[in-house]
Amino acid sequence: MVPLETRNLAQRLLTYEAATEKTSASTESMVLRVYEKLRRHLCALAGVAGFHSLASRALTLAKIKAPNLSTMQVAADGSLHQHGDAELESYKHQGGDGEVVLVSELLGLLHAFIGEALTLRLLQDVWPNAVFDDCDSEDGRKV
Amino acid sequence: MSARDKVTIHKLPTGVLGLDEIVGGGLPEFSFNIIAGAPGSGKTTLAHQFVFANATSQHPALYFTVLGESAIKMLRYQQQYTFFDPAKLPNSIRFINLSQIVLEKDLGAVLAEIIKEVEKSNPAVVVVDSFRTMVRNPQGSLSEMDLQSFIQQLALFLASWQATTFLIGEYAVDELRDNPIFTVADGLFWLSQIAERNSVVRKLQIVKLRGQASVPGLHTFRITDGGLQAFSRTFGLSGHKSKPPSQRRLSIGIPELDSMMGGGIPEGDSVLVTGASGTGKSVLATQFIAEGIRQGEPGIVAVFEERPQAYADRAGSFGLDLEAPQKEGTLLILYLRPLDLSVDETMNEILDAAKRIGAKRLVIDSLAGFEMALSPGFREDFRESLYRMIFALTGIGVTILSTVEVDESFTEFPFSTYSISFLTDDIIRLRYVSIDGQLCKILVIIKMRGGNHSQDIREYEITSQGMVVAGERLKNYQRLITGIPERVNRSGEKEEL
Repeated sequence: MVPLETRNLAQRLLTYEAATEKTSASTESMVLRVYEKLRRHLCALAGVAGFHSLASRALTLAKIKAPNLSTMQVAADGSLHQHGDAELESYKHQGGDGEVVLVSELLGLLHAFIGEALTLRLLQDVWPNAVFDDCDSEDGRKV
Repeated sequence: MSARDKVTIHKLPTGVLGLDEIVGGGLPEFSFNIIAGAPGSGKTTLAHQFVFANATSQHPALYFTVLGESAIKMLRYQQQYTFFDPAKLPNSIRFINLSQIVLEKDLGAVLAEIIKEVEKSNPAVVVVDSFRTMVRNPQGSLSEMDLQSFIQQLALFLASWQATTFLIGEYAVDELRDNPIFTVADGLFWLSQIAERNSVVRKLQIVKLRGQASVPGLHTFRITDGGLQAFSRTFGLSGHKSKPPSQRRLSIGIPELDSMMGGGIPEGDSVLVTGASGTGKSVLATQFIAEGIRQGEPGIVAVFEERPQAYADRAGSFGLDLEAPQKEGTLLILYLRPLDLSVDETMNEILDAAKRIGAKRLVIDSLAGFEMALSPGFREDFRESLYRMIFALTGIGVTILSTVEVDESFTEFPFSTYSISFLTDDIIRLRYVSIDGQLCKILVIIKMRGGNHSQDIREYEITSQGMVVAGERLKNYQRLITGIPERVNRSGEKEEL
């Protein structure tokens, strides 16, 4: 079970990315953008195989809570892919719980393996302008 | 070339307690080093300690991982050590995984990736863990020349970029001769661990270190919550000037014995008190330490056979107060008995304590207990270790009194079962004798390096005041030291006892 704090943290990352989107005008879903940024950093840290294992585990755990993720797969390079005929685009704009669950599970695994302090430092490296210890910040940005 | 013209090689702290002294003051800056040893010997932890001790945001460390232990698990375990500072990640210490490149590409690509990352971060420290995995060649497509060229280029590049480098690998001792990596390396740290009976003995050797003198030989180390802790064979006293010999005599607290020794024990001597069980060796040792406290000389008692409280209680029964000086910080009773100690660790404890309280007197009670407290692997070196320990301690002006139990024999007069009498300056022998149907105790000074001593054989008793040497020398007996003396009358004829 992912702790509420981890879930809140995942939500904050998505919120932060959403705030960034206003300027970049990206059409990617927030969850995929967050996932992709994490993938790049974690592959550098743990290797592609290391990240693939973590991501597969996170997706398996997430699918239990969010059935709309059932067609998702982790590719060999650690990126997310849609299984079968379904288009990845169909996932990109899905709202609801599924978005946050996958990121929550990934963060939850990091938390379990390397602890809160290192997880936050790793996230800080990925999102240098985000504030992770300030829950009152509206969009996660430094003020 | 004058000293002024020589380049100064800066020394970096290793981050390992005791290791700086072993490597000659710190690790040479920009050196290219190998940490070798079997799995579980502490290689990664040693590298982490160096990295955490030296990496800053201005001078970061790059830690390349290659297959083997994943970085996530490495971070999971390494953060348990007290030296691990999460605030240093990722700005000061950056972990980069090279597994994919190693698996899919050749050494040229690996080198290119390392160069790219180094040029990007400009690190002061670079670690490759494990280098052995990186250059593994399962298909046999890699020629020795390819490997040599790769190592040469890597070493040249990292030195040119002013990085101090550690390559970590699981190497066996028999690879030392042929593997080109050992030729290129400036420093070679070899870690080993051997399980002996129920103990694990860890040792570290600086096989080579260019540019400065390291302490030769095998050094014990231990892995604690704080990471590796090394114990130098020179006990951290390399270059330490020995105190000039003193003319002072230290009172034992037994006036008659002091006078038998010409006024007491010469300061800085090592004294061996030897005798059978119950002859009063510990009592004498306690009086020696208590007399020192009385005279304002802080002391340490290293006990191996009983707990400090029991030792202090027993001293109290002889009217010797060891409680108050402990509270005042002028006396430390160290209980050292984890059964896998090395002499070097014990020494480290004793030396730390000696420095802490400015100890002038040390009692080791007893050498047999000390030997038992050592890991079986260290017992083989007990004599040699004891020599180093006594030499080091007396060198800093501490007067040592050690007790040792010997089996009572009626055909011999042994001083010690360890053949260590050569280590001691002075020997006091206690023994039982049968006189007039009573089991009595006698003592004799066997030797004193520092001068003349009484040749008398004196009777003594253990009273409520401790050891008391009674009466004159035993004149009317022959063969006292056999334990079964014969009384002789004035005309020299033997009498039955």
